[in-house]
Amino acid sequence: MLKLISSHRLTFVILVLGFGLVVFALGGLVRPVAASPASAPIQNIVPAQGELPDNAACLFCHEKPGMSRTLPSGETLSLTIDSSHFADSAHKDIACSECHTNIVTFPHPDLQVQTLREFSLQMYTVCQKCHEEQYNKTLDSVHMRAVAAGDTNAAVCTDCHNPHTQPVITDQNGALLPEARLSIPEICARCHSAIYDAYKQSVHGAALTQEGNTDVPTCIDCHGVHNIVDPTTNAFRLQSPQICAKCHTNPAIMDKYGISTQVLNSYVADFHGTTVTLFEKITPDQVTNKPVCFDCHGVHDIKRVDDPVYGLQMKQNLLKACQRCHPDANTSFPDAWMSHYIPSPTHSAIVYYVNLFYKFFIPAVIGSMVIFVLSDIVRRLIERLKGAKHV
Amino acid sequence: MSEKKTVKKQTEPTRQPVRRFERFHWTLRLAHALLLTSFSLLGITGLPQKFASTGWAQAMIQFFGGIETTRLIHHICAIVLMFLAIYHILDTGYKIFVRRTRMSMLPGIKDVKDAFQAFIYNLGFTKKRPQMGRYTFEEKAEYWALIWGTVIMGITGFMMWNPITTARFLPGEIIPASKAAHGGEALLAVMAIVVWHMYGVHLKRFNKAMFTGKQTEEEMLHEHPLELADIKAGLAERPADPKTLRRRQIIYYPVAGVLAIAMLFGVYGFIGSEKTAITTVLPISSPVPIYVPQTPTPIPTIIAAAVPPGSLTWDASIGAVFQSKCVMCHNATLATNGLSFASYADALRGASDGPVIVPGDANSSKLVQVQSAGGHSGQLSPEELAVVKNWINAGALEK
Repeated sequence: MLKLISSHRLTFVILVLGFGLVVFALGGLVRPVAASPASAPIQNIVPAQGELPDNAACLFCHEKPGMSRTLPSGETLSLTIDSSHFADSAHKDIACSECHTNIVTFPHPDLQVQTLREFSLQMYTVCQKCHEEQYNKTLDSVHMRAVAAGDTNAAVCTDCHNPHTQPVITDQNGALLPEARLSIPEICARCHSAIYDAYKQSVHGAALTQEGNTDVPTCIDCHGVHNIVDPTTNAFRLQSPQICAKCHTNPAIMDKYGISTQVLNSYVADFHGTTVTLFEKITPDQVTNKPVCFDCHGVHDIKRVDDPVYGLQMKQNLLKACQRCHPDANTSFPDAWMSHYIPSPTHSAIVYYVNLFYKFFIPAVIGSMVIFVLSDIVRRLIERLKGAKHV
Repeated sequence: MSEKKTVKKQTEPTRQPVRRFERFHWTLRLAHALLLTSFSLLGITGLPQKFASTGWAQAMIQFFGGIETTRLIHHICAIVLMFLAIYHILDTGYKIFVRRTRMSMLPGIKDVKDAFQAFIYNLGFTKKRPQMGRYTFEEKAEYWALIWGTVIMGITGFMMWNPITTARFLPGEIIPASKAAHGGEALLAVMAIVVWHMYGVHLKRFNKAMFTGKQTEEEMLHEHPLELADIKAGLAERPADPKTLRRRQIIYYPVAGVLAIAMLFGVYGFIGSEKTAITTVLPISSPVPIYVPQTPTPIPTIIAAAVPPGSLTWDASIGAVFQSKCVMCHNATLATNGLSFASYADALRGASDGPVIVPGDANSSKLVQVQSAGGHSGQLSPEELAVVKNWINAGALEK
C-alpha cells in the first residue's frame, strides 16, 4: 500500500517534474523566438502570400525620423517617410509595395546600389505602371536621351515628382491647376539654376515669382512637360516663334497688359519672319541665323520692351540687337524693322503711303486696261459678226 | 474695214508674193526672248515671296527647292534684267546718236488722241479707227510701263538687296517701303502683262513679229498704216553716208564703253557689296550655362539629419546616430537579435547573447567589432563609428 502510495507519489512527482521540464524546455525554445522577427507583432504586419503589406505596417517603422542607410558611396539614403506629407500626396492610396515591389517581407532584401543616384535610376521605371502616357512621352525627351547616353545626372520622373510628397496638380480634366504653375520653375531650377536665375529677372519670371501671376509662361509652357525636346536644335529654333505666339496672339491674355497681338503677323511679314516660317514649313531642320523672337527679346532673360535699361524700344538697344548679325549697321538701320507695328500714318508712314498708293494705283491702271480691252473685244466681235475680214 | 458686208470672207486675195517689212532686228528679238524669260521667272519666283503665307505660294517655293533657291533664281533673273537694261541703254544710244533714227517710241499728244479715238471707236461713237505709226499707243504704253517698272524694281530691289548701304544714305524705313513698292509694282507689272500684253499681241491677233521679225504689208496696213506710208514714201529711214556714220561711231564707242563699264560696276556693287548677315555666326541658344544643379546630385527623398555636434553623450549626439542608422532594425518592437537601440537603457542592456557595449572599452564592445568588420546592414560611416568609439571609451554616458 505504502509502496503503492509511494509509487503513486513518485508518478506524480515524475509527472510534475516532467511537465516542468517540458514547460522549461518549451520556455527555453520560445523565448529566443519571441525576440526574433517572426514574433507576434510582425506576424500581424507581414501579409499572407500574394497580398501587399498595409502602408501602416511600412510606416510603423518608416515614419520614424532620421532613419537612413549609408550607401557604399558614403552617401546617406534617408528612409524616413513624412507620413503627413504622404497623406497629402497624390499617392496616399497607393500601397508602398506597388512601387517598392521587392519589399514585401521583413527583413528587407539588401539594397543592391552603390550610390543614391543609382537608387533613383533603379526606381523611376516603376512610374510607368500607372503613368504610362507620361512615361512614354519622357522616352523621347532630352533628359531620357541623356540618360540613355550615360548622363546619370539627367532628370528622371522622381527628380521632378517626389513620389512620397507629390501633390495632385491637375483638375478632373487633367488641366494643370493655376497654383501648381507657381512651383514649376523651382523644380527645374534644381538642375537649371543659372537659367532660373535669369528667368526670375525676366518679365515673365518676375511676374510669376514676385506677383504670383499665372498668365505668364513657366518653363513647361515653352519647353513642354514630359516630352521636353532639345531646345538647341535647328527645328526647335524654327518652331520657336509659334511657341511665343501661343500666348502673344491670344487677345484674352494680351489685352490685359495692353500688348499687341500682331507680333507674329508683323514678324512673319518681314524678311526674317518670312524666311524662318518658310524654312519651318519646307525644311524644318534647316540651319539658320535668321533671328527668331528670342534672338532679340532674350532667351530666358526676356525683358519688357520699355525696360529702362534693356528695353528694345530704346534705339541703341535695338541697334545692338541688329549689330549682332549686321555688324556694319548704323543708327538708321534699325528703322528698317517696323518694330511689330502695322504701317500706319503714325508708324512707318512711308510704308503706309506706298501701300496706299498701290492700293489705288493698281486697280486704276489694271481697271482702265480691262475696260479698254473689253471694249476692244466687243467691237471686234461685232465687226466679225458683220463679216469684216480683218478684225 | 470700211468695205461693206458684200465682200465675203476670202482666203488669199491675190497670188502675188507677200511683201514683208522688217520690224525687229534679231538682236532685239534675242533681247525680248531674254526679257520674256527673266520677267516670267522673276514673276513666278517673286509673287510667292509677296504672298508667302498662302498655301499656293508655299507650294511654289517648295517646288523651286525652298525659299533660298527661290531667292537665288529671282536674283539671277534680276541680274539678267540688269544686263538687258544696260544693253538697251547702249543700243538705244547708238540708234539715237549714231544712226539718228526717228525716236518713234517717244510718246506724244497724238498717242493720247489715238487712245481716246480707239476707245470711242470701240464704243461706237466714231466710225474711224485711229491711224498709227511705227508704234501704236498700246505698244508705247507697254514699253514705257516696262521702263518705269524696271527702274522702280531696280531701285527698290537694290535697297532690299543692300539694306545697310541704303541706311547709310536714307532713313531705314525706306527699306520696308521698298519692299512694299517692289511687291506692289510686281503685281501691277504681272497683271498688266496678263491683261494688256496677252490681249494685245496674243489674243486679239497673234502678232508673230517679235519672233519672225517681220510683218506683211497687209498687217502693216492695218496696224501701222502711217509707218507703211512713210516707208513707201522713203521717209522712214534716212541712212547716213558711211563717212558720217564712221565719224559718229568713233565718238560714240568710247563714250558707250565708259558708260558700259560704269554700269557693269554698278551691277557688281549691286550684287556683291553686302554680305554681313550671311557670314555672321549662329546666335547661341542660351546665354547662361544649361546644367547648374542646386544640389550636387538631385535626390528625391529628404536628407537624413546629420550627426549633431556637441558633447559625447547619448542624449546630446550618440542617440541620434543610433536613431538614424540602427533603430530601423534594432528597435523595441523588432529588436533583431534581442537588441534595441531605441533608448539608452536598451542599448546598454545588449542583445540576447550579451551586452554589445562595454563602457570604457570600445575595442571589446561587440558593437564596435561588428561595425569595424563592415558590411553590416546599418553600417555607420567611418566618422560616425569614430564618434561612437570615443563615446564608449569615454564611459558611454547617457547625459
